[in-house]
Amino acid sequence: MMRWIFMLFLLLTTKAEAATVNTSLYILRDSIHFDNGTSLPYATFNATNSYNATNARIVVDLGDQLDLWVYNFDTDVHEFRIQGQTSTVSIPSGDSAQVLYNCNTEGVYIFHDPMNFPDNASVGLSGMLVVKNTTHAGFFWNIKEHQVGYNSTVFTGSSPDWMTYYPEHFTINGMSNPNINNDPSARVVGNVNDTIYIYMANTGQSIHSMHLHGYHATIVYSSKDPSHAGWSKDSMPIFPSETMVLELVPNQPGEYPVHDHNLIGTTGGNLYPQGMFTTLLIAP
Amino acid sequence: MRITLALALILATSIGGFGQMDTTVMIISKVDFQEQYELHDGNLIHLMGYTQTLSAPINIPAPTLIFEEGDSVNLNMWNLSQGAPHTIHLHGLDVNQENDGVPHLSFEVVHDDTGSYYFEAPHPGTYLYHCHVTSVLHVQGGMYGLLIVKPKSDPNLTWENGYAFDSEHAWLMSEVDTIWHHDSIVNHPHDPQAMTHTILDYQPQHFVVNGKSESQLSSQAIVASVGEKVYMRLANIGYYGNRIIFPAGMNAEVIASDGRPIPNPFNSDTVEVYPGERFGVMLETNAEFTDVIQVDYINLNTQTIENTQEVDVTISGFIGLDELENQDLLVYPNPANNEVQLPLSGEWVTLDLSGREIAQLNSGSNNYDVSGLAIGTYILRSVERPDMSVKIMIQR
Repeated sequence: MMRWIFMLFLLLTTKAEAATVNTSLYILRDSIHFDNGTSLPYATFNATNSYNATNARIVVDLGDQLDLWVYNFDTDVHEFRIQGQTSTVSIPSGDSAQVLYNCNTEGVYIFHDPMNFPDNASVGLSGMLVVKNTTHAGFFWNIKEHQVGYNSTVFTGSSPDWMTYYPEHFTINGMSNPNINNDPSARVVGNVNDTIYIYMANTGQSIHSMHLHGYHATIVYSSKDPSHAGWSKDSMPIFPSETMVLELVPNQPGEYPVHDHNLIGTTGGNLYPQGMFTTLLIAP
Repeated sequence: MRITLALALILATSIGGFGQMDTTVMIISKVDFQEQYELHDGNLIHLMGYTQTLSAPINIPAPTLIFEEGDSVNLNMWNLSQGAPHTIHLHGLDVNQENDGVPHLSFEVVHDDTGSYYFEAPHPGTYLYHCHVTSVLHVQGGMYGLLIVKPKSDPNLTWENGYAFDSEHAWLMSEVDTIWHHDSIVNHPHDPQAMTHTILDYQPQHFVVNGKSESQLSSQAIVASVGEKVYMRLANIGYYGNRIIFPAGMNAEVIASDGRPIPNPFNSDTVEVYPGERFGVMLETNAEFTDVIQVDYINLNTQTIENTQEVDVTISGFIGLDELENQDLLVYPNPANNEVQLPLSGEWVTLDLSGREIAQLNSGSNNYDVSGLAIGTYILRSVERPDMSVKIMIQR
């Protein structure tokens, strides 16, 4: 049975070029693999009905209307919402739901499965909706950590003990160092004096502190601390469920690391260097 | 970028062009082969670290490096680790790639070799330096310190046309997991072919401010006078978060972060500092009191507070200072060892930082025997002139 869910918000501002963005997400379950050979059961929102451990990302322009269909191809019931923006809709196995959302506020929003929160979101069902108001180059970091054993616990219907959480794997867009640098949407590549936007979402349960080498960046938006907009920083803590937008205008060429400065986050399966470590590549 | 060993031991300072200082600083990276660094419980651990002389013991944090805005700085590092290569990453200084201290993107310095890092001191503010080789191990091992850039016009300004202060303190927070300081880890074998290094689970037992905790924190106590403007530099190089809670009477104002003024300074008794971050906080009191500054250590995975340290704060009237202006001229030497010269002869009451009387000093002259005082910070109050108090630090 197909059900129609309308979650229409008042359209506060409209751009002349506003468009309706038609897109779909597919809930699929498989595994996420790490370089030390560890695999965890995992589920993600995919752009097609082909599984990928990287959640699909939805990028729209300010003023667009999002017309989103979410298909549940998993064997379990799941839920969907855009955190803080839409109400929760339940999607039984084999079913689908439509979500309409007016993108009238610039920022980054997390869409996820809020069922038994944070359990289902922690096993991968957590992605980014980016509402842009700029044509500058953008890069996207879905930041997350993983503890071996927790995903199996969730998929067997139990809830892990979050008070003893000690993750061993740390990913950006579902990938660890060195593979993050192979993701053109994650690895920042640009030129001196470019204006570059970095869109971040922490879809994990740990606090991370992302440190830039070579540059300070300006916080454009923080969902947790809106008053931090305008701060020039080289180390940006990002809390669970927080989203943030950075503006980077590189003033020198080179290749510079960016990594979690909780240095445990630069490991994977107790091996260094893995985890949240990538580089910025800036040409003259 | 290498220099010869012959140059490595030179510590030279000279005036460069356009009024800027050319500064050369020597840093030696070393590893303890004997446990020597004492924790609050008396246990000794091995450290990896930086010193500025061959004979100096390794401490956490490493020596604070202070430069003036615009200085041309050469940091020359001599690696005497007997094992692993090391680097100096200039955290937050936004140096170019060649001088960034990341081994595979610039260079590393192997044992008994030297390397030189060059930068021009940028914005006045608070920065860090640390090793970026197997950084999760070497930073926990102790290879970190503070780097402060002062404005050229006045060292008691936060930045040009910024806030003026009378005194400043710099706290670098971190943790110690003693298992990570075992000899086999601190002196870990270095295989240049190895692509990865194995680490242990991180379960720190010691939560430190400038390498000290519990009773050791008396050395970090804040002693100030009413109306004195105190600038606090807060930094976190650990793998936990910090929540610093100031007494309400200190009127804390957060004014800077990561080496930059923040555009919207705000008053808050609570400041959170996460790994790699730095904050600048102005404090000014308008009443006498004794209290503590609370430093919480937050587990980043569970967001629970795993430990709390307390640092004493004593705000005194120091009415005598109004007449005599500069206490440093009145108490000499300060810090003192066994003898000290005070501004008045006669009887002085010795108070600890909680205001408890612990001793009396008597002398017919201005010279006093303080050999009976333990290492620490004290307030001395004149019996003849009870409106006159001075603070004194005993170091041996």
